[in-house]
Amino acid sequence: MFDILSFLISWLPLFGIYAILSLCLNMEVGYAGMANFGLVAFYGIGAFVAGYTSITIFLTIYGYNYPIYSPEAIIAMGRVAGKTPWLNISVFILSLILAFLIAGLAGYLVSYPTLRVGPAFLGITILSFGEMLRVFMKHFAPTGGAYGMLGIPHPFAWIPDSAIKNTSFLILTLAILIGVLIYFELLANSPYGRVLKSIREDETASLCIGKPVPQIKARLLFVASGISGVAGALYAFYLGAVTPDMFITAVTFEVWSMVILGGRGNNFGALLGASVFSLLNRVTSILNFLFSDLPIDPNYFRWMITGALIVIILMYKPKGIIAEKPIKTEAWKIFGAYGETRRKLIAAILRIINYLKRAIYWLIGRETGYGPDIKGSKRE
Amino acid sequence: MDPILRVQNVSKKFGGVEALKDVSLEVKRGSVTGLIGPNGSGKSTLFNVITGFYKPDFGSVYFEGKRIDGLNPDEVYNMGIARTFQTPRLFGPLTTLENMMLSPKGQKGESLLKAPLRKTWLNEEIQLANEVKNLLKEFDMDGLYKMFASDLSGGHVKMVETSKGILGRAKLILLDEPTAGVHYAVGKNLFEYINYLRKTYNLTFFIIEHRIDLLFDYVDYVYVLHMGRLLSEGTPEEVASDPKVIEAYIGGA
Repeated sequence: MFDILSFLISWLPLFGIYAILSLCLNMEVGYAGMANFGLVAFYGIGAFVAGYTSITIFLTIYGYNYPIYSPEAIIAMGRVAGKTPWLNISVFILSLILAFLIAGLAGYLVSYPTLRVGPAFLGITILSFGEMLRVFMKHFAPTGGAYGMLGIPHPFAWIPDSAIKNTSFLILTLAILIGVLIYFELLANSPYGRVLKSIREDETASLCIGKPVPQIKARLLFVASGISGVAGALYAFYLGAVTPDMFITAVTFEVWSMVILGGRGNNFGALLGASVFSLLNRVTSILNFLFSDLPIDPNYFRWMITGALIVIILMYKPKGIIAEKPIKTEAWKIFGAYGETRRKLIAAILRIINYLKRAIYWLIGRETGYGPDIKGSKRE
Repeated sequence: MDPILRVQNVSKKFGGVEALKDVSLEVKRGSVTGLIGPNGSGKSTLFNVITGFYKPDFGSVYFEGKRIDGLNPDEVYNMGIARTFQTPRLFGPLTTLENMMLSPKGQKGESLLKAPLRKTWLNEEIQLANEVKNLLKEFDMDGLYKMFASDLSGGHVKMVETSKGILGRAKLILLDEPTAGVHYAVGKNLFEYINYLRKTYNLTFFIIEHRIDLLFDYVDYVYVLHMGRLLSEGTPEEVASDPKVIEAYIGGA
């Protein structure tokens, strides 16, 4: 009844995409303190750019003259999508790059007029930008208006076996996620990460020690928005379709709750938050599917659980599950504190091994290994 | 000696309030210069004009012969002017080490492109950390490096804030009420420290202070602001005996 592998295949790509988003948001909110309430705008831009470029290139190369949202184009795409593996892959890569550049540029431009004022203005501006963009896309005919675009060519459409096809996409998504994670970890644990944190704490004081705050923020928004755009492009390829109404403001707040749950200012916290909420998303969808005669739709529970989790976390662990840590650079080595966590970790592992040993002795009934003599010898 | 900082005929209005009216003053290189005046006399506004937070409505500011009014605060810092605020502004959830490592200017690892390439900034980082370590050790604060700045005591916060200027290779340090909120003895210590820094690192200090008793023991020259105007100037003895200053402080008619 329950197939763990197909569950993983349905969960992990979603996890990967949301994890990339929450890493981006964590960079902006957790490190630099920029309240980005319009993450979904850049996510959506990425998805639309990817959909538009890939379908247009395919139709042009195969000589079809239909508008990209017409039913004929969708049928034609279904016919040609699996024919040329090299085209699929190269269109995919090109779409990701374009999604990065265009979403990044949008982030840079939107931020430009607002960075000199406080963080709240930035949040409201981007929030309304995202919402206006969605409404605009609903009425924008060249990308299909409210119906959006269908038939986006999957990068692995040429693999006949759908399990292998989906697994390949999953691996690709996770590879991109790991790349983003490594990049952000390197960024965060460098003097640059230190500057971002200083901006989060006190913009004025940061300006007073010679950090060009507006410039730093705009550039970070370029990078983080661009990577959100890449996540959007992955989502478009994953679903094979984009419509404007997939990019409602609630998506932004879902990513926000991931970052708040996992821990602001900690990339691994963002990963944890993304895994918890995307798992919740999948589980409730599956429950909905399995028990269709429930009095309440389990999907509604998802929002209740999300809200409850946020409240509990903010009450008992306001910094998130994995709290922020001082940035790791070689500066700590000079003070001789670099290996401290490693030493603690080794000590903890040794302690666990000791407990395990005692548990095993107790289980197999070896009296000599457990009892006062071992405690006595430990004290010496 | 030549002036390191020259303020010429600076005026600044906020709506109908004239915060500064035609203020001209000079800070001599290597001196400790004081700036006193009753509350609301425009001392902090003058600091904000010098460090680029406000653009003067009229007049100009020269630092080492170069005009600096109209520059942004970060550019002013990069020219060699560091400042502190009335309320200490360390970055609370960051450690003392991180706070101090932030102040050196033009670090390679602070650019978005070079930050992921550890090799490009590793040596610089180690060198700066060593410098921080020596500085902390010099003032018996080396145990504080991994404390969060929000947990530091008031006196230590002031010391760290002042030392940050040295790490930033500042030539002129503007201190806004360095001894506000600390005990007299700690304040005296702080001024000893300032005096020491001036001699060893060839710094110039420009200090706003309300504790005139403390200030006058350490400064070379004093300016008095009152209602946005320069009321008096001179050595501490001259200023202390100026009847206009006494009247402004005690509050004459």
